[in-house]
Amino acid sequence: MIGDLSLFGVFVPKLLVLLLASYGMLLVLKKVLARLGVYRLVWHPALFDLSIFVILAATAANVAEWYLS
Amino acid sequence: MIARFSRLLKTALTLTLFAIALAVGWNSWQSYMQTPWTRDGHVRADVVSIAPDVPGPVAAVLVSDNQTVEKGDVLVRIDPERFQIALDLSDATLKDKTAALRQARRDAERYHRLKNGPAISEQNVEQADLAVEQASAAYDEAKANRDLAALNLTRTEVRAPVNGVVSNLSLNPGDYVSSGSGVLALIDTDTLRVEGYFEENQLPSIAVGDAVSVDLMGHPQELRGHVESIAAGIEDRERTNGSNLLADVTPTFSWVRLAQRVPVRIALDEVPADTRLVAGMTATVSVHPRRDGGAPAEASAAESATMRPASAEPAR
Repeated sequence: MIGDLSLFGVFVPKLLVLLLASYGMLLVLKKVLARLGVYRLVWHPALFDLSIFVILAATAANVAEWYLS
Repeated sequence: MIARFSRLLKTALTLTLFAIALAVGWNSWQSYMQTPWTRDGHVRADVVSIAPDVPGPVAAVLVSDNQTVEKGDVLVRIDPERFQIALDLSDATLKDKTAALRQARRDAERYHRLKNGPAISEQNVEQADLAVEQASAAYDEAKANRDLAALNLTRTEVRAPVNGVVSNLSLNPGDYVSSGSGVLALIDTDTLRVEGYFEENQLPSIAVGDAVSVDLMGHPQELRGHVESIAAGIEDRERTNGSNLLADVTPTFSWVRLAQRVPVRIALDEVPADTRLVAGMTATVSVHPRRDGGAPAEASAAESATMRPASAEPAR
């Protein structure tokens, strides 16, 4: 989570990359969950999506930390 | 009944997930915000500005650009001819004064021997003694002048005062150098270090001796070090000295305020062999605060060495 990532010589914060990746995963996951009909079991879909995004991002951060160290 | 139950279940499911997200998100946020780290770090080294002690045309430049030199190596040779002549001149003067001193001593001895006879007055004897003292002083002066000329001659060889690397060399034989003005920069490689510019709100979690990892931009390997010292002051940007020496404080009131940066000096302990440290490189610096309060062995030694003056501070 801490540090920079080199994208063809442009150094961007790892956090930005992480959040973008999490958002991408969220989009895919939403499609899958919608297909499975999970959203019928959900109270507020937007709140549900936000929660999923936060959990994805935090997990990705921890995985990245563990993988890089 | 079933509809109501299922609505309850839906609410519970969503809220549970939200609670998990809150906990996990808060945890990550804390570790992101509370770890003292900065992307604003730089490799630094002391730069010695080499200035010749004597003026003259450059006879030879004995180093090339970016060359590693050791303490005491000759870097530049200034044309020594003028200083050699000055030395010869002062040598000749010294010889003259030596001869004069010898003659004065012989005269004095003679006067002392004859002073009981009728031909020599007491005044003659005193004058002879005076002549010896004057000749002796003139001799000392000539000797000092000779030493100075010899020193000037040795100073025509400009030597490296520290181990380092010559940088940005643009001095050529034939250039005229004047005494006291820098002609080449020597980067003192013994003082290579990393300085991290930490936000002032991160300072409470940084202590001298804490382990530090440093990521140089574009280098895969991590450097390890420890916090050597923390700057004791930075410039107050809101304040200048006005006319008639009164404080001129800028009247600002900003809603959004940025934390100022305080330099923290990091001594490097482990540098991978293939890493070339260049003063000015960008680095990401993370401090790993000791939570247990117990200092690692080597860090505590460094701390006790550098923190001694600070222990005189009044306890808070």
